[in-house]
Amino acid sequence: MRVGVLALQGDFAEHIQVLRRLGVEAVEVRKPSDLEGVNALIIPGGESTTIGRLLTLSGLRPEITGRALEGMAIWGTCAGMILLGKEADRLLEAPLGLIDIKVERNAFGRQVDSFEVDLEVPKLGGRPVRAVFIRAPVVREVGPGVEVLARLPDGTPVAVQQGKLLGTAFHPELTDDTRFHEYFLSLAEN
Amino acid sequence: MMQLGADGVFVGSGIFKSENPAKRARAIVLAVTYYNDPKILAEISKDLGEPMRGIDVRQLAPQELLATRGV
Repeated sequence: MRVGVLALQGDFAEHIQVLRRLGVEAVEVRKPSDLEGVNALIIPGGESTTIGRLLTLSGLRPEITGRALEGMAIWGTCAGMILLGKEADRLLEAPLGLIDIKVERNAFGRQVDSFEVDLEVPKLGGRPVRAVFIRAPVVREVGPGVEVLARLPDGTPVAVQQGKLLGTAFHPELTDDTRFHEYFLSLAEN
Repeated sequence: MMQLGADGVFVGSGIFKSENPAKRARAIVLAVTYYNDPKILAEISKDLGEPMRGIDVRQLAPQELLATRGV
């Protein structure tokens, strides 16, 4: 298993650390040739318009879309989830449109409003997941083929799955809990 | 800076005193992403025009010196 982490901007280094801790080969992806031999891709958190622009400039946009349509597993965290969705407010670059969700960017306010919360994630079983929300988005609309994996206490979806595509509004790579990464790897192996 | 291990680069407003700020800004952003790729670095560094010129402290009027402000 070789997992690519989109390394155009954002917290790709943290994802790579978690993957290596799990004994998985992790490579930084900055240009189309970096995707060769990669079985799954993580799009990290960062600034979604910036990553969107660099996706276009790097030539990676059609490559990633093509690989997703061929069935490659992709997981987007925070900005990565925004980019995987179909639509997002105030996004100055088109998202990839791979997961049938409508996303609200920066849904909680400014940096001072960032927070952590325990979330029930039935798919992962056991104890709740400590979820880190940093100027985070939320999912406002979910299409028929999309499964909601976790919600905030008020019912707002913050983790979604459509086939082998995964989106989380929060940052599992910033905690010691590796269950979301392991779940993603299990999707990629199937 | 990226090759020395920095996570990112902060660009100050001095960039607007360069000849072509938009082109220079784009080059800086791409240079941060592709810091380990000499071919791309060479390509994006072409034809950027003049950078901001430094100002010699001896040419500043006393009221423009930071050392005298707020005194």
